[in-house]
Amino acid sequence: MIQTLLVLWLVIALLIVREKNIARIIIYLGIFSLLSALCYMLLGSPDVAMAEAATSAFTTIFFIICFEKYFSFTDAQIGSQVIENKLISLKTLAPLGFVVFLFAIFVYFIPDASGIDSLRNMYMSGFMADVGGNNAVTAIYLGYRVYDTLFEALMVVISVVAVIHLSAFSERAPERGSEHSEIEGSRMAVFAIQIICPVMILFGVYLILNGHLTPGGGFQGGLAAAAFFICRYMIYDVYDIPIGKLSRLEEMVFIGIVLFAISVIFLGTAAYLPPIYLPVFQNAYLLLVNALIGLKVACGFIILFYRYIAVEGE
Amino acid sequence: MGIDGIKIIELLTIAMFFVGFYGLITSKNIIKSIIFVVLIETAVIMFFLGLGYQSGALLPPIGESFNNDTMAYVSDPLPQALMITAVVIGLSTTAINIVLFITLFRKYQTANWDIIKSIKNLE
Repeated sequence: MIQTLLVLWLVIALLIVREKNIARIIIYLGIFSLLSALCYMLLGSPDVAMAEAATSAFTTIFFIICFEKYFSFTDAQIGSQVIENKLISLKTLAPLGFVVFLFAIFVYFIPDASGIDSLRNMYMSGFMADVGGNNAVTAIYLGYRVYDTLFEALMVVISVVAVIHLSAFSERAPERGSEHSEIEGSRMAVFAIQIICPVMILFGVYLILNGHLTPGGGFQGGLAAAAFFICRYMIYDVYDIPIGKLSRLEEMVFIGIVLFAISVIFLGTAAYLPPIYLPVFQNAYLLLVNALIGLKVACGFIILFYRYIAVEGE
Repeated sequence: MGIDGIKIIELLTIAMFFVGFYGLITSKNIIKSIIFVVLIETAVIMFFLGLGYQSGALLPPIGESFNNDTMAYVSDPLPQALMITAVVIGLSTTAINIVLFITLFRKYQTANWDIIKSIKNLE
């Protein structure tokens, strides 16, 4: 089953290599991400599958915005820009040979890690007592390896700062209904999005609040809640998000996450508590950190999306 | 070690990595290059998640408790927790890549690496 899906996955990647039309490449990328999410699910990792499904929506939207703005008028130019169609020439054979050589080296020297499961056994046998909750993945990224999560949140902050800085020359907001009026022509799309919208934000909040019990968590829920704002933009076509305030809120929440998580871990607050209150404390910690991470990720990606729209409308 | 211990899923993901690498070194379009970076990231994530495949460990690591008998059927939670962060960081880097491309496009009005290089040489 999973091997078949992975072969299909590889075929779609080869199609992307051979394709010349950028619009088709973006659609292939959507299919590719869907297949990846399905494979993650079959490999026993629903958390990563949800994260992939949520991020693929954002990736596709970003590429579509980029394409809409910059490729509609240079489309004919694109066709001649990609690889030349001659099958046998030095220009195509030399990179192919190089890549096949690297592939052979990689396959020959790959380490065999199938017998190493001591770390898994340690985490799986102890996570409910050590960190709490039912989801071992959440227990690892909020308990055992919380510093990874902090630096990952820092990466999102850096990305938002970089995008705001690099697109600073297009401060002007697009006029209402000026650029994106074609979506208003499709009443069916707007009707369907209006039905989906509240479910989406409810699903995001559910994922955030149940992250320590079921698959999900701060990242996935935050991304789903941020996708709500894409839908909102599609329906109402307004640009009324206060990006400066949102950016400041994101930085504040990030500082809050760092201070809270590090103080809980360094001070060892759980050691001073009577054992009866320990599960309550653990669940409160997981819930609060997940909610803060969800808020931060949602803020970050709302800012990114609206910055892209602003760049596009300029 | 070597060819004997190779699982089919690892072989497919490594092949995927090198398909992305081939696209990266041969594509002349910047947008296509960014897409191949996304492909490479996905291949790496799939490789790490597929590490536990041959032992039949396909249950998600969620539940009440695991004893020594059922432990072997649960997939490894550590790569999953690391790969969630990798997925979100991949989205962030893709956003930065696209913005860098937009600034480059504003300056040179093209999406072709070669044309940009030749313009830069002329300047």
